[in-house]
Amino acid sequence: MNSPPLSLGAGQQVMTPSKGVGERKIRRLEMLESVLALGGLVLLRDSVEWEGRSLLKALIKKSALRGEQVHVLGCEVSEEEFREGFDSSINSQLVYHDLFRDPLNWSKTGEALPGGPLGVLRAMCSRTGPGPVTIALDSLSWLLLHLPCTTVCQTLHALSHQDSRPGDSSPVEHVHVLGLLHGELHGPGPMGTLSALARTEVTLSGTRSQASAHILYRRPQQRPTHETHWFSILSDFGVDLQGVSPLKSQPHPDPLTPPVDPTTHLTFNLHLSKKEKEAKDSLTLPFQFSSEKQQALLCRGLGQATSHIFYEPDAYDDLDQEDPDDDLDI
Amino acid sequence: MAAVGSCASGSGTTGSVGAAAASKNVTSFQRKGPRASGTDSGGSRLVSIAGTRPSVRNGQLLVSTGLPALDQLLGGGLAVGTVLLIEEDKYNVYSPLLFKYFLAEGIINGHTLLVASAKENPADILQELPAPLLDDNCKKEFDEDAGDHKAPDSNIKMKIAWRYQLLPKMEAGPVSSSRFGHYYDASKKIPPELLKASKWHGFFLPEKVPSTVNIEPCSLTHGYIELLRFIQKVIYEEGFDGSNPQKKQKNILRIGIQSLGSPLWGDDVCCTQHCASSHSLTKFLYVLRGLLRTSLSACIITMPTHLIQNKAIIARITNLSDTVVHLESFIGSDRETNPLYKDYHGLIHIRQIPRLNNLICDVSEVKDLAFKLKRKSFTIERLHLPPDLSDTVSRSSKQDLAEPAKLPGPGCGMTAGGKKHLDF
Repeated sequence: MNSPPLSLGAGQQVMTPSKGVGERKIRRLEMLESVLALGGLVLLRDSVEWEGRSLLKALIKKSALRGEQVHVLGCEVSEEEFREGFDSSINSQLVYHDLFRDPLNWSKTGEALPGGPLGVLRAMCSRTGPGPVTIALDSLSWLLLHLPCTTVCQTLHALSHQDSRPGDSSPVEHVHVLGLLHGELHGPGPMGTLSALARTEVTLSGTRSQASAHILYRRPQQRPTHETHWFSILSDFGVDLQGVSPLKSQPHPDPLTPPVDPTTHLTFNLHLSKKEKEAKDSLTLPFQFSSEKQQALLCRGLGQATSHIFYEPDAYDDLDQEDPDDDLDI
Repeated sequence: MAAVGSCASGSGTTGSVGAAAASKNVTSFQRKGPRASGTDSGGSRLVSIAGTRPSVRNGQLLVSTGLPALDQLLGGGLAVGTVLLIEEDKYNVYSPLLFKYFLAEGIINGHTLLVASAKENPADILQELPAPLLDDNCKKEFDEDAGDHKAPDSNIKMKIAWRYQLLPKMEAGPVSSSRFGHYYDASKKIPPELLKASKWHGFFLPEKVPSTVNIEPCSLTHGYIELLRFIQKVIYEEGFDGSNPQKKQKNILRIGIQSLGSPLWGDDVCCTQHCASSHSLTKFLYVLRGLLRTSLSACIITMPTHLIQNKAIIARITNLSDTVVHLESFIGSDRETNPLYKDYHGLIHIRQIPRLNNLICDVSEVKDLAFKLKRKSFTIERLHLPPDLSDTVSRSSKQDLAEPAKLPGPGCGMTAGGKKHLDF
């Protein structure tokens, strides 16, 4: 149950799958950190084959170990079952809101939470302490089935943007809302709208033996990036990483077809050798005057207001100054 | 409509053509008195509103959208009194840029802004507007943007064209005129003193207290009702519909509504296919257009139409808006790695251009338009297919011609070959 004593600093090297078993444990928690890095709403989309509650509990454990306040809204499993597997220090840190035992307040003993699920969520919107908060919703699917989708979206948005202090540039990073969403229960409408609201979206899938998490990061105003992690969850809700395949969002050029260079196989010469350049520079062009004459022509153009016409009459011109039309009778 | 008054005054004077007056001073054409109602009182006063110009096609008063390239595609600009609908791209990376350019253009021209959002605080949206490019350094910005560094050639004497040395240099890059259409630097934020000097109203839905009035079905959702009331209040109080006659200086109201139709507005058109308030969004657009048509305002709306489940609603929304532009980005699609599109970030489709007092509209004949977000600017260009320079293009035809010649045969090569070509 005890995690091996390792120092997990920020400057870990990128692990390749070919390295030994001992070094594999260095990046144990790095995937969880990257999921929690952006803040805001984190969607965990699981399915029947690949369940997500263990990853949710791993994230809760990670947040609790970091010292954040953790609130859990339990709707699908009982409180005992949810707390199973956590050690006592983490269990004492969890604030559990139980909606499983008596969601509609039929027992009327006063133990049920006032206002139902919506009241609980709205109460969580007003923050109690200044530190970072993690709110785990187990599960978001249950909420979507019991409340209208627009109300859930508006409440989630209010939850993740809680900080109303003016001048706080990134209120979202203090709050993590982890929502577990079962993929088969909802149509494309609610899934699409929740994806658009979420900052980080983790989709669980995998091959026969290995689970994988495809993580999509939607930073605001930036291109989304994604990664795929292969992992397995240990009994103490630590995460054992088996590999990462980050898919870059930049397109790769196709390596098979090299770009065709249009300047090859030409019948004329595109480049000049040095001698040819010198010969070209020393060539006198027909209207290239010396610089003095250029200046003279240019300056004369500036100084004169009118232009002069220099005309030399040839033999056939009539230079009679009299009106040539005088002999016409009009 | 806020039409330029030339047509208005024309209709007024046809009635007063009578018998020719005897004296030369008084003509038979008499101008009617100034109109008492409405905004189109006198054509000359409308043209003098800052940041507007009349359209050369149909005389409508136009405002710039903030992107001169988009203005050109829309026929000169956005007509005052109309709605520009931007269909958001899938990850909402590029449509906020168009939204911000529109608002920044309003600030530069001194228009009043009304920013409505259910997601972000309008004050935060306004902080992130792009900075305008001024005349003196705009050419330098564009040269840097193009990537090639031309050597300064002002002091190189020209060898052949030396007579033109003394002529003033022509501006090769786009010049930001002070009247219509400005250029912006997307990497810098707008200077705060410009924001302070501007007048704006913000509408942030989570801050509006929901009223306790019961909303009957088939009516507008609460968020839309509040927004319409707010817009109406601003238009009335500030006199954009001509209701305060003592205001001499006319101005334009630029309305920006972000992510209309998303569930944060309380509308479930994106969540289900058969939504309870299915006519809420279409009614909102109809009422909004009515408000805009009777006032000097222009509106930009961004809408996540890729989330709307019922495709019939998208068609209705397109019909109810005036100008519709759809942004399709290549992120996440297989076009991202396609070498044809490697220079661009997405395609832009102009879905609809309005016919305002006209039978035809100003559709540009260029249909393949692509956009690209460079570090400092957002450009829209025509999509050019690169020339096919591969070797196989010309080789195949040579091979076909060579083949019939190889085949032996009694007759001439044509009949013996007969493979593909009949060369005459």
